[in-house]
Amino acid sequence: MQTVTDTIDDEGKPLIDADGKRIDEWSECLTLIAQKQDRAAFTRLFRHFAPLMKAFALSGSTLSANHADELVQEVMLKVWQKAGAFNAEKAAASTWIYTIARNCRTDLYRRLQKFDTPLSAEDVSDSQDSEEAFLVLHQKRSRERIRGLIKELPNDQAQILAKVYMEGKTHSEVSGELDLPLGTVKSRVRLALQKLQIQLER
Amino acid sequence: MTNFHPDLELITEYAAGSLPLAQGACVSIHVNQCRRCQRIAGQLTDLGASLFEALQPVPVGDAQLDAVLARLDDEKPLEYSHRKSSPSSTPAILQRLMRGDFSDLNWRNIGSTLRISYLKTGDPDHEFALYHIRAGGRIPEHTHRGTEMTLILEGGFSDANGSYHKGDFLIRRPGDVHAPTALQSEDCICLAVLDAPLRFTDWKFRWMNPFLKLRTA
Repeated sequence: MQTVTDTIDDEGKPLIDADGKRIDEWSECLTLIAQKQDRAAFTRLFRHFAPLMKAFALSGSTLSANHADELVQEVMLKVWQKAGAFNAEKAAASTWIYTIARNCRTDLYRRLQKFDTPLSAEDVSDSQDSEEAFLVLHQKRSRERIRGLIKELPNDQAQILAKVYMEGKTHSEVSGELDLPLGTVKSRVRLALQKLQIQLER
Repeated sequence: MTNFHPDLELITEYAAGSLPLAQGACVSIHVNQCRRCQRIAGQLTDLGASLFEALQPVPVGDAQLDAVLARLDDEKPLEYSHRKSSPSSTPAILQRLMRGDFSDLNWRNIGSTLRISYLKTGDPDHEFALYHIRAGGRIPEHTHRGTEMTLILEGGFSDANGSYHKGDFLIRRPGDVHAPTALQSEDCICLAVLDAPLRFTDWKFRWMNPFLKLRTA
């Protein structure tokens, strides 16, 4: 078994993932799209991420299959258009793509509910810029750590994180759905974050 | 500077994109001003990406790929010049919701020390309002029927539990009673997001309770 730290070299660069693939393959694709409008790179990204986006669209199950397909197309078009804003030095390609999918799904939900709002989900998400070099490195390490530790979470904690993140539910919605006290839901989230070593600094 | 922050669970809901619009907007303004919360939100977004990558993929046909490829010509990549930092100190989200400045808003006077301006976010379940409390002014004692998020934009206030300053983020739960007083030195402007109306416990103001309705949308 490969440990998490094995995938990071001294500069904190991820080398290969568990399948032996270079983790930064997706960053390269985004860079090729930005610089050369490279359709082959876009196609590679599509084949990997579109099925994940569709799964993400269908989690939470309030979107029809048609809407899920619409979402996949919309997200992939955004990836194409916005590739120039991706900064491989600072962000992981998968996080960048996930963030677009998350925002597009939220906007689609709100359109379907006929929200009349001047704010898009992107306006309301954090800007993720202006990090100093050592913090970028720190975040890279934490990302690799999370990726490794996530598989070891107990089911009851993993289930709640999946509902909050993949189904887009608030803690109180999860509490209602699973018939658990709100305090239990929150403490499971907190325990999971502890295991993943995500904590507030003093 | 900032001493009061959203808790870890709340930032998790925020990073997951699961918060209702008005609450998400309030948390977002704090996070974008606060290094510490921004850092943790970054990690929590990475967590979301890891969960995303671990999903069981659902097959997407080549027809879909072709449909997207066919649309690429119409969708030219956008040009990005790196980071335009806005010169204004007003958070970008508020700039989108207001026309002009704080002084250009429609303010409703509530007594002599407090005025309120309601902003329209489109969230049907939450009131999103700016409170302007005159320096040294006191808001009559009130309790919360629901959850109230408060973010201090200018100045500061104190209540029985402590004193709070620009950038501080506070959350009040149902049943919390307080009577905030603005700092003596300057006026206080804060953003308050409510999911249920306030209820005054101060007897001079109780008559208003039946008229307090949530002003959303």
